[in-house]
Amino acid sequence: MTFKYVRFSRLQRFEHFSVMALFIVLAVTGFPQKFYDHRWAQVMMGWLGGVDTARWFHRAAGVTFGLLLVAHVVRLVWEVARGTVSLSMVPTRQDFRDAVQTLRYYFGLTDAQARFDRFDYRQKFEYWGLLMGSAIVVGTGLVLLFPILTARFLPGELIPAAYLAHSQEGLMAFLVVIVWHIYNAHLSPDVFPFDTSIFVGTISEERMHHEHPLELERLQRAAGETHEPAA
Amino acid sequence: MAQAAQPPAASVDNETCLSCHSDPSLSLTSRDGATVSLHVQQDALAASVHAKVACADCHTTTAELPHPERSFQSKRDLTLALDTQCRRCHFANYTKTLDSVHQQAVARGDRTAPVCVDCHGSHDIRKPSTPRAVISQTCAKCHEGVATAYTRSVHGRALTGGNADVPVCTDCHHAHDVAGPKQTAWELRTPEMCGSCHANSALMAKYGLSTNVLSTYLTDFHGKTASLRRNQNTPVTGAVVARCTDCHGVHDIQKANDPQSPVIKANLLKTCRQCHPDATDNFPGAWLSHYEPSLHKAQFVYAVKLGYAFIIPFMIGGLGLQILLHLWRLMANR
Repeated sequence: MTFKYVRFSRLQRFEHFSVMALFIVLAVTGFPQKFYDHRWAQVMMGWLGGVDTARWFHRAAGVTFGLLLVAHVVRLVWEVARGTVSLSMVPTRQDFRDAVQTLRYYFGLTDAQARFDRFDYRQKFEYWGLLMGSAIVVGTGLVLLFPILTARFLPGELIPAAYLAHSQEGLMAFLVVIVWHIYNAHLSPDVFPFDTSIFVGTISEERMHHEHPLELERLQRAAGETHEPAA
Repeated sequence: MAQAAQPPAASVDNETCLSCHSDPSLSLTSRDGATVSLHVQQDALAASVHAKVACADCHTTTAELPHPERSFQSKRDLTLALDTQCRRCHFANYTKTLDSVHQQAVARGDRTAPVCVDCHGSHDIRKPSTPRAVISQTCAKCHEGVATAYTRSVHGRALTGGNADVPVCTDCHHAHDVAGPKQTAWELRTPEMCGSCHANSALMAKYGLSTNVLSTYLTDFHGKTASLRRNQNTPVTGAVVARCTDCHGVHDIQKANDPQSPVIKANLLKTCRQCHPDATDNFPGAWLSHYEPSLHKAQFVYAVKLGYAFIIPFMIGGLGLQILLHLWRLMANR
């Protein structure tokens, strides 16, 4: 019999789904603006009903994304202050050692794989990368949405800088998702074809054993070796 | 030039016509009571590009003797009616005029709107661009206000000084298919119009002007919007975006460093405020004045540009490498 372990709460699954949907809208409406002088961008803009319509959706999705980010951060700060959240996503020295260990493993210098707790260093890297990248695109997006207001308090040169940063940060986020996230969630032989945990919320004991052995051991100790599922 | 149509069987030759029409006093009174001279200046005709065209080739309906009775109220009525005669040889250009604002005015019944001969002349017809400055003078016959503004502009002053590189009216507005400047399609073409000279490096090098003006405009928010709108047949719902002429002026365009120029630093805020009425002192700083960010201009933007030029390949390359190493180890494990 296989036990299921809860990995993501209902709220976290909702957050992931929203980010995914908004990310697609933002990429589809954003890249034809960035690559305006390419034929494909102009064709795509035509499908979207023109640059003005595309911008409306881009801004609506961007504002929603910003609200989601603020809600996430406010909730975290609140929960950390009350001590009701585990700090399992905070990077530690162990993550650095795990990364080195994994590289050594890849190069065949050792056969011992790093043993991870609730979140491994790659997951932490992606989470914090997303959080900081989001802060950059939302911040620069606001500058671009309110250039007059920005220039009332800050130097005008910030606006073209924000314009460039917004567009380049969006490109980088897109490439990270295409290359790294799609690999880790779909194409990697470890999870192929689809790591469903972020959608269903749970993973199997077998995967826990393989991918999060330290967490599994902790949970099993806490449950008194009873193999009681946590959900 | 379109192929010449077969001239009608001329019942009379030019000499026959001129035997009467070389008389300076030959005239008639039209139905509106005006005296209309019927004199044809022979030397003007001989010097014209149509020197070898027979009178009857254009005046087809009066090519017989005695002339049939005509029912025109005035000389202008005759001119308007004869306009279609040009089509018989100049079919392509005549067809172009059908799309023009001038022809639309004629169709609306505006009798002062120009037809072929109003710009080209009739018996004294010449190549329209000899010299080039003549073109602007031709338009000035009706468009006095803008023509005066043009003669004071950097382009107009150069033209008066004998410079043939600068644009005359028809370079921007076109000659036969002249479009209304308020037409969206025409407006959206502005950057391309100015760019046809200002992005020409050989031409701009002569005057020490940068050809970055077009590329820097196009990559900016205003330029991107303009070119994306131009390439779709979708309705424009957003605010109008600035094009070259909105900041630099249209007919009265000056050098960018002229104290009168709307884009010189002292005037720039006022220029921005035409569209952004709430703009404050810092706002014009958002526009990099057609400069590419570099170590010397817009250093902050340049730093952001360099930062991403470094971090994007580093990040994607690093992650891609990890993926390859992971796959390599999995293969090795088998």
